[in-house]
Amino acid sequence: MSSDIQRWSDELARNPASLAFIDLGEALRRDGQIEVAFRIARRGLDRHPANVEAHNLMARVAVDRKDLVSAAEEWQMVLRLAPDHVGALKGLGFICYQEGRLEDAERYLNHAASRGGGPSVTAALDSIRRTSGELSTATVEALAPSDPQWLFADLLVDAEQTSLLLDESGYVLGGLYLDADGTDLAHEIGAQLSGISDEAVRATRHLGIGDWKSIVFETEIASVAMAPTSNKGLLVVAASRATPLGLLRRLLDQCAARATRWLHDGATR
Amino acid sequence: MTNAFGSVLELLTRQRGVRSSLIVSETDGLIVDATLRFGEDGDRVAALAASLYRKARLSAAAARLGDVGFLQLDAEQGRICAVGGRNDLVLMVVAEPTANVGLIRVELLKALEAIS
Repeated sequence: MSSDIQRWSDELARNPASLAFIDLGEALRRDGQIEVAFRIARRGLDRHPANVEAHNLMARVAVDRKDLVSAAEEWQMVLRLAPDHVGALKGLGFICYQEGRLEDAERYLNHAASRGGGPSVTAALDSIRRTSGELSTATVEALAPSDPQWLFADLLVDAEQTSLLLDESGYVLGGLYLDADGTDLAHEIGAQLSGISDEAVRATRHLGIGDWKSIVFETEIASVAMAPTSNKGLLVVAASRATPLGLLRRLLDQCAARATRWLHDGATR
Repeated sequence: MTNAFGSVLELLTRQRGVRSSLIVSETDGLIVDATLRFGEDGDRVAALAASLYRKARLSAAAARLGDVGFLQLDAEQGRICAVGGRNDLVLMVVAEPTANVGLIRVELLKALEAIS
């Protein structure tokens, strides 16, 4: 347990009505203890239903839990209580961007910029206007800082494109896999795809055609591409059937390069 | 070649860069018919390809993407292409890396129609 978590936990134990739950919840989510952070935030909100930062915390935890619908609701609540809250404006801007609602994203980010949102918001706006929605890596990372689920966000320029990074066991390392309803299916996909690398290795070894580089398949409503990663994991990219296979493969290459860099950075941190 | 699938496999094998072509039962991974390169263990290739195709189908189902049609695996020195989705049969070819995948895909889809 980090010293921050211990400190805020002690503070909350001494005074359960205090606002220490906000700092504690934030420290827990940064520590990766998402479900504990969720319980702390929910309990805090029960006591302080009109506290802006409590709703902001709950929204951030909801993003960690890949529940974008709840995150949007919480940030909307923040804006009802504090219409110029920069964090909520940035968060909603990012969710809109993820959903392909670029005009709404621009509106929220414009508002955030007018309230001192900082250079990251300005850069995001410039990118949206200049490139029809393609954000730079730095911009995206600044908007949605430490969350690996946004790892490929700036590469996926179409709302129907989605990407997912799995480890050797099929657990999700980064990215999102949203279906048409916005439901995150990352864990189901990970579970189903775990082991496919082994199958590919066995098949290619037996045929004597070297290491496998990619698998692409078409379904009734989407095209899916996969590639092995440097940690013996798997990268999955999906796009609508309207996306040409050649373009899908280019997208796979770009996401693979990003995943390799991210895995390397994580290993050297 | 000993059965009605022979002409379909022959057409596939005529494509430039195609080394082998097989019709496989996806459920049990057994060969229905095949044209193989001399010395190739068709049973094992069929089982592995059927397993790959099945995994792709399961993951597509989990993602609510519908049935899987064409599948392509690329390796350093070769490719596996397959189509299925109807009546448990999967058609697959093993090809050289230089083979024209676009053409193979078209021929596989035509062949699938022919055997359905």
